[in-house]
Amino acid sequence: MTTARRRSYGVKGAPYAFLLPATILFALFFALPIGYAVYLSFRKVHVSGLGLGSGARKEVWAGLENYTGALTDSELAHGALRVLGYGCIVVPVMLGLALLFALMLDSDKVRFTPFTRLAIFLPYAIPGVVAALMWGFLYLPDVSPFYYVLEKLHMPQPDLLDGGPLYLAMSNIAVWGGTGFNMIVIYTSLRSIPAEVYEAAKLDGATPLQIALKIKIPMVAPSLVLTFFFSIIATLQVFNEPMTLKPLTNSLPLTWSPLMNVYQDAFRKGDIYQAAAEAVIIAVATLVLSFGFLRAANRRQKQEAAR
Amino acid sequence: MSSLAVQKAPSAAGTTGAAQGRPPLRRRIALVPTLTLVIGAIYTLLPVAWVVIASTKSGHELFSTFTFLPGTGFADNLKDLNAYRDGVYWKWMGNSALYAGLGALLSTCVSAFSGYALAMYRFRGREAMFNILLAGVLMPPIILAVPQYLLLAKADLTDSYLSVLLPQILSPYGVYLARIYASAAVPADVVEAGRMDGASEWRIFTRVALPMMIPGLVTVFLFQFVAVWNNFLLPYIMLSDDEKFPITLGLYTLLEQGANTPALYTLVITGAFLAVIPLIALFLVIQRFWSLDLLSGAVKS
Amino acid sequence: MPNTKRTRLVASTIAVALGATALAACGSSDSDSKTESGPVSLTYWTWTPGMDKVVDLWNKGPGKKDQITVTVKKQASGDTLVTKILTAHKAKKAPDLVQAEYQALPTLVSNDALADIAKDVGDAKSKFAEGVWQQTTLGTDAVYAVPQDIGPMMFYYRQDLFKKYGLTVPTTWEQFAQTARALKKKAPDKDLTTFSANDSGLFAGLAQQAGAKWWTTSGDKWKVGINDAATKKVADFWGGLVKEGAIDNQPMYTPSWNKALNTGKQIAWVSAVWAPGTLTTAAPDTKGKWAMAPLPQWSAGQSVTGSWGGSSTAVTTDSAHQAAAAKFAAWLNTDGGALQALAKDSGIYPAATNAQTSGAFTQPPAYFSNQSDFYTKAAAIAKTTAPSAWGPNVNVAYATFNDAFGAAAKNKSDFAAALDKMQADTVADLKKQGFGVSQ
Repeated sequence: MTTARRRSYGVKGAPYAFLLPATILFALFFALPIGYAVYLSFRKVHVSGLGLGSGARKEVWAGLENYTGALTDSELAHGALRVLGYGCIVVPVMLGLALLFALMLDSDKVRFTPFTRLAIFLPYAIPGVVAALMWGFLYLPDVSPFYYVLEKLHMPQPDLLDGGPLYLAMSNIAVWGGTGFNMIVIYTSLRSIPAEVYEAAKLDGATPLQIALKIKIPMVAPSLVLTFFFSIIATLQVFNEPMTLKPLTNSLPLTWSPLMNVYQDAFRKGDIYQAAAEAVIIAVATLVLSFGFLRAANRRQKQEAAR
Repeated sequence: MSSLAVQKAPSAAGTTGAAQGRPPLRRRIALVPTLTLVIGAIYTLLPVAWVVIASTKSGHELFSTFTFLPGTGFADNLKDLNAYRDGVYWKWMGNSALYAGLGALLSTCVSAFSGYALAMYRFRGREAMFNILLAGVLMPPIILAVPQYLLLAKADLTDSYLSVLLPQILSPYGVYLARIYASAAVPADVVEAGRMDGASEWRIFTRVALPMMIPGLVTVFLFQFVAVWNNFLLPYIMLSDDEKFPITLGLYTLLEQGANTPALYTLVITGAFLAVIPLIALFLVIQRFWSLDLLSGAVKS
Repeated sequence: MPNTKRTRLVASTIAVALGATALAACGSSDSDSKTESGPVSLTYWTWTPGMDKVVDLWNKGPGKKDQITVTVKKQASGDTLVTKILTAHKAKKAPDLVQAEYQALPTLVSNDALADIAKDVGDAKSKFAEGVWQQTTLGTDAVYAVPQDIGPMMFYYRQDLFKKYGLTVPTTWEQFAQTARALKKKAPDKDLTTFSANDSGLFAGLAQQAGAKWWTTSGDKWKVGINDAATKKVADFWGGLVKEGAIDNQPMYTPSWNKALNTGKQIAWVSAVWAPGTLTTAAPDTKGKWAMAPLPQWSAGQSVTGSWGGSSTAVTTDSAHQAAAAKFAAWLNTDGGALQALAKDSGIYPAATNAQTSGAFTQPPAYFSNQSDFYTKAAAIAKTTAPSAWGPNVNVAYATFNDAFGAAAKNKSDFAAALDKMQADTVADLKKQGFGVSQ
């Protein structure tokens, strides 16, 4: 009796014990700074006179001023629209390719996988400062080897860094950099499916394609949901790709994406208060979209499980 | 717990056995998947090839010769990089290895604990806790860097190794991933069987669940390693002493030296190229752990 | 200020959780110990390459005598460094000494980050041109920094190609426009230069040359004159050239731009005294083919130039040893040996006037070996630098410049409209922060 109770107590307490480190770290390095950022979003600096000399600058309550400022900022709204357009290209292409590659890696008798797996993942490891230089060399007509080829073939040479093609140029950077990452998530998931699950299907004469569609994809659905969820967040917080291309073209304003707007306000204009308000708005929008998706995905899974 | 080992071992043998032992049913190479992957690899490697080729060019060749034509300056670039501020580059490499290695290791542990708890136990507040952890990714990191700095400054921890290490240990992404892998890889009845045998929860976790979660956990480790390795803004805000800089920040200081000094492009590119090599090595080591053979072996022994 | 109850609570939570029990260092070091006693050690944030070697001279020489040791912490230059300094200052952890560009000084001063070192820098003032020194006082009696390097603007051109196309070096902007058109006629695929919107400093310098005063004060109010007549003249001039296609409209510092300079697709560059360094990496194949001339003028016979770049050494209010730090700042930028080392190890063009013609500057830069009087000429041009007028939100004006002029250059549309936007955004930001603004 006593041992049983002790054991059941152990079971009950165990999850909390396992979650303790994460909880402490979350409280210190997420919750507190987020709380502080939210606090800052209701503050502002008030300067008096010329603002020179000490004591001329005071931090005061701003009420909702930063929020109304952010919501009426047309650049932020435009940025959101641009990012939605960009997301509509990036997310399906990137996840489609990631799933395709993961399935291919997991299929029988495929060759060179250690190499191809590494190759597709590798772009993830190129640091941003170098990526900017690299894409400059590949996108700018005067130095790009691709334009060189196009010129030799007397083909039209589109301006990749303006208008519609700019979205493609930027999406390409995201797809190039992010596919390998998502591929690995899905691939690891595929590897954890016990093989006898397919053995039966194989004996029934199912083709690899059928196995992929009917068995593998449903079984890695949680990973697909995960990659989708994080891709939506990454899209709404897109920052690196436009920052990479920014120095190369006049067509990319410094406020191209909402997060660039935040960065601009916080780090170039030094207005952390306004930036914090914008960040809170972006976070709420991301919350609605990403958790909305998660909810819908969960509901569907439950429905399917019930069927 | 032994039931799972039995269950998994033949299946793993089955997949590899088909490729080696049995006579080929159709073709030796699956052409379509192989070709698709090779095309994918060419697409991703083409820009990477630029980094490799550019690192061989001297400053003079970088902007004047054809993009994909190798140069002659690799040895000189290496020498210059080595000479820059008495070899501070290698210090940055070491720092990055420390931040990323230790950070990813701790992060993987925390993710494993949390993911396992969230996947295997039913307890009050489970979904709420999970959602709150996840919500941590909603706030853009660039806005958190300043508050994190101000808070760590109160604890007198800024400009220290800890200031870069600590905020990056918890990764909501890693927790989520670990949860998915735990629920996929660790069957509930195995855990139950362990309890019946009178094993403590900790023992069940370390002896039974952990080995099964290894492929997922090495993935978490890999991602977290790369994420910390490439993180720029947090160390930028936290650190002022360039002896503590990670590689990303160090390369950035080479690029931005003020108007009167030209950017040291060749050093930055060579430095970036060298910085990718440890990541490749890590990847090569880690991909061995994705094999289920190894996993089942670990469970058996 | 962040010292509210809430943040203090936050701080103690963090401290307890992290086991950092000894918080003694926090907050107690704020006391202004102006009188120096015993050894002092200072930290210095700078992006100048080779600064550690120059500082070594101090640590082994005058610093050793005064027991003042300086440690260099090398930073990346750029817009974000000011934010980094201000963030550190918010936590009262800014270093003792910082390198700051002139246009950033008002922002730093208005955040109360820089100390007034007027009484600690001795007779430093006499070593600098008045226009340069005035940037560190912001027109007050205080001194917030000691000038380090300056960037007087000049006109650089390909001597050989000018000859080939029969062009003469323009001495007025009118001639500059004609030269651009003449080149287009003779070689349609070449450009005299480009108008780039990615470095606001260039445009600010050009406006400064034309006599613009972007920020001025009257009483306790700021007056913003970004769209004043002088700047409008400059904007219209460049906008016109871009619109008629006489010059290129692509940004500088891209691989493409490097190639254009290296292959002679662009044959001139409006730049500053530090251009030889940039050209060495951007256009290595054309070494010895360039020459430098004074900037074209708005009316014949004038000689005025603007400045692009340049920085100073400032002491922060967080420093516990402000007098010692000021002593070092003054030594670094006025001592003959220090300036010599700065020129040699860091490649800077010194703000101190007597250093501009001494030692390291008797020989031309290697890239300009064909122009033996390069630095004599440069020193003469530096003397003609127009006064500049910076305000507390230069960063906002600059950020708007990038976007508004970037779009205008791309669309070849009205530059004056972009200028008006720059003015409007800058004024709006000042008002939002609560500064006194006069219309």
